Amino acid sequence: MAASEYHRRSRHLERVESVTADETVRHVDQLDSDTLETVYEAVENDRPIPATEFGLEEGEIIVFTDYYRVNRA
Amino acid sequence: MTHYVIIGDGISGSSAAETLREEDPDAKITVITDEGEPLYNRILIKEHAKGKLPEAPISIHEEEWYEDRDIELSLNTHVTGVDPDAKLVHTHEGADIEYDKLLVATGGTPTQLPVDNSDADGVHHFWTFEDARGIREHAERADKGVIVGAGLLGIDFAAVCGAQGIEADFLMRGDRWWRYALSADGAEIMHDGMREVGVDPVFDSGVDRFETDDDGHINAAVDPNGERYECDFAGVAIGLTFNTEFLRGAGLEENNGIVVDEYMQTNVDDIYAAGDITRFYDVLLGEQAQNGSWGSAKEQGRVAAVNMAADDTEEEFQWVSSYSITHFDFPFLSFGHPTLGDEHAERRYSDTEWRRIAFKDGKIVGGVLIGDLSPQSKFKQLMREQRVVSDQADVLLEQQVDLDELAPTQGQE
Ligand SMILES: Cc1cc2nc3c(=O)[nH]c(=O)nc-3n(C[C@H](O)[C@H](O)[C@H](O)COP(=O)(O)OP(=O)(O)OC[C@H]3O[C@@H](n4cnc5c(N)ncnc54)[C@H](O)[C@@H]3O)c2cc1C
Repeated sequence: MAASEYHRRSRHLERVESVTADETVRHVDQLDSDTLETVYEAVENDRPIPATEFGLEEGEIIVFTDYYRVNRA
Repeated sequence: MTHYVIIGDGISGSSAAETLREEDPDAKITVITDEGEPLYNRILIKEHAKGKLPEAPISIHEEEWYEDRDIELSLNTHVTGVDPDAKLVHTHEGADIEYDKLLVATGGTPTQLPVDNSDADGVHHFWTFEDARGIREHAERADKGVIVGAGLLGIDFAAVCGAQGIEADFLMRGDRWWRYALSADGAEIMHDGMREVGVDPVFDSGVDRFETDDDGHINAAVDPNGERYECDFAGVAIGLTFNTEFLRGAGLEENNGIVVDEYMQTNVDDIYAAGDITRFYDVLLGEQAQNGSWGSAKEQGRVAAVNMAADDTEEEFQWVSSYSITHFDFPFLSFGHPTLGDEHAERRYSDTEWRRIAFKDGKIVGGVLIGDLSPQSKFKQLMREQRVVSDQADVLLEQQVDLDELAPTQGQE
């Protein structure tokens, strides 16, 4: 995969303080164990999520030890 | 045309309805719930009670979701009886609904403390969205709280108190929180988490009675040692009573929950059960078990529906459940059946990191990870593979778990 494509399709998690009524929110217990691992690694190591490991929707908020929005990297 | 009736529109009932529609496009499907709203995200209502999440993102299905799938939804309808001979479901309004196949997905109701004033104004139980709205509204104006029930739901009350600025005492029966799954080392991390949000764990305590003011509002909890804890808010989470009253006389085998096999079939023809309410045959554990978690309830609903539509034993339920606590700045994950097993291994890594693994017959059957979740998918994999690994617990307790360091599986049963 070309580097530009990788960047276009990878995601990162942004910590957010509040949530508006029109946002989509999921709790980590709704994720399968691979997606949970991806979220955990991304939060722990503050690194983008590779395109191949999704199971996450762009824009949605994941409730973990904080609230994290899934953004384009 | 087959008529499927589902009692309960929680995640297990709703996931069954969705799967039934996919598996049997022409069938008639009816979902009955005594709640006033369709499926919502029960595992996010605590975030609403904490004051952090608005209502809208917690809703999962609008009524149109059912209309679009030609599923009949009866809100505010309490099922009062089931007649398996006539294949009828009776409702509180006196209606009789015929079924060909029935799914019982009615979950549980929080158990009330058997003490004086346990239903006083200001004493809360936590199961429905309506409960969460009431808790939030009260928590916003309360100052002093008491929490009872040293388990997974009790800690949600602790988090609500923490987030809403209520100073609280968490009255626990033994010497630690969740003593069936955690040793003193693991529990101490959780106690520190509670203290950090302003909740004080109190051990060898509990509630002997609640006291009220002249208006009937709670103003204190008295523990069995005679200690009085002033409060204007109380959260009680001592367990669930399963909603099976309406099944009296229907002949379903119960054992603190409805007994089902790995296909979610009860002992009565054409009646299935799914979700929190089941005592199911756990194929990984090799015995009957119970799960009280979102993912497991969703999967049980799906598997039940597959087997109902197939009118056969098409798919068995095989699942490793997970339950997280996300209220503190360190993560917590319980997986499988951490309170079961015949052997345990555990290690503490730091002030916020601890791990415990439960084994049965040498195989992992569950565990608890605090602080460091990195091995969770590896442990779940070993559970699914049913590998005998208890004799290599040291490898599993390494901070970085490398499954390649485990001895090959050859020769294992
Ligand atoms: C505050 C809270 C926090 C939680 N946190 C987590 C978490 O972090 N992670 C996790 O995995 N799990 C969590 N859980 C547990 C999880 O929500 C449940 O395991 C799951 O929702 C169970 O789904 P269910 O469909 O089996 O039952 P339920 O969701 O209880 O649904 C049963 C439905 O049946 C209805 N019903 C009952 N009797 C009748 C009747 N006679 N007639 C008509 N309708 C009836 C009920 O009103 C209810 O709507 C939490 C639960 C609560 C309450």
